[in-house]
Amino acid sequence: MFNLFKWFKCFKKSGQSKETAKKRLQITLLYDKLEISKDILDDLNQEIIEVISRYFMIDKNALTLDFRKAHHEHLSVLTVNTPILGSKLKKAGS
Amino acid sequence: MPGRIIVITSGKGGVGKTTATFNIGAGLAVKGNRVVVIDMDIGLRNLDIVMGLENRIVFTIVDAINGRCRIKQALIKNRKFDNLYLIPASQSDNKDALTPESVIKLCENLRKEFDFILIDCPAGIEQGFVNSVSAADEAIVVCTPEVTSIRDADRVIGLLYSRQITPKLLINRIVPEMVAKRDMLNHKDVLEFLSIELIGLVPMEEQVIICTNNGIPLVTRKASKAGEAFLRVAMRINGDSNLPIEVPKNHKSFWDKIGVRLKKK
Ligand SMILES: Nc1ncnc2c1ncn2[C@@H]1O[C@H](COP(=O)(O)OP(=O)(O)OP(=O)(O)O)[C@@H](O)[C@H]1O
Ligand SMILES: [Mg+2]
Repeated sequence: MFNLFKWFKCFKKSGQSKETAKKRLQITLLYDKLEISKDILDDLNQEIIEVISRYFMIDKNALTLDFRKAHHEHLSVLTVNTPILGSKLKKAGS
Repeated sequence: MPGRIIVITSGKGGVGKTTATFNIGAGLAVKGNRVVVIDMDIGLRNLDIVMGLENRIVFTIVDAINGRCRIKQALIKNRKFDNLYLIPASQSDNKDALTPESVIKLCENLRKEFDFILIDCPAGIEQGFVNSVSAADEAIVVCTPEVTSIRDADRVIGLLYSRQITPKLLINRIVPEMVAKRDMLNHKDVLEFLSIELIGLVPMEEQVIICTNNGIPLVTRKASKAGEAFLRVAMRINGDSNLPIEVPKNHKSFWDKIGVRLKKK
């Protein structure tokens, strides 16, 4: 039933399938390269939020993880992007 | 100067490696270079029939490497071009018939005689791929604007980098009408994923099939946009590095479109 719905959406959007292709490729190439799954990425995302939240006030929904490949150096680069709403008060004694 | 050894590869099958090898080779020959193209698809040879030389095979690359013939005897001369030669693949052996070392040795001999050695790599990343890329100084990765092909090209580009080869990208089978409708990735989209230098953009074209039927190259056809694109790739390889890359356009002219509209009404 769900699939049928998806198909329907596909038809409606016909004429712009390249956007879908691009989104799918982005994720696929990343997973191919790093061999990590969406679940692991979600866990990473969650833990990064927790760590940063200990030091800053952030908008948890605005935090993005961005992987870029750098073919030339055989590296993948992870960029964490988050607006900082304010710093937390220093803990007493620190 | 010793000749340049260039492998044409893709990962995915059927994207146009053999077509590209022949036409880039023919283009380089037209520009006055001595060129040999090598079919490395052992067991599934194709370059011979694409070039119209399928009836002239006596010896193959496997014979030349195993010493069953001299290298010269395995070279088939293309009748239409004085300085374009083919070394065909063998149809009966399997891919293990060759080793990287033996292919390197053959190519080192060939580069004394030829300006360009183009290697038509088989699909996949197994033995045939390893044999093909081991000897190469340079690589052209062929892909089409499709998710499968781009994914495989990405993998192959990684493997080439790990062999200290910086490949260039040829995007084949572009359908400008679909690109215009946003139903096909354009070359900039593809380059976002495969961030390597572009060497050419080739449109999908009926002429490709017609020329393959006839066993002749596209590059000498005035009417073929794909042929023109391959010729420009050859010229870029040949040192014309400032030659701009042309983006395939909707070939229907303004008047054709008006005509279609009028017919519809
Ligand atoms: N630009 C093009 N326009 C139309 N048809 C094309 C174009 N390029 C290639 N083809 C067709 O696509 C098919 C595959 O091409 P080709 O044999 O060159 O691919 P390949 O990558 O060498 O395949 P393989 O992996 O099997 O060796 C052929 O039928 C060829 O005629
Ligand atoms: Mg082929």
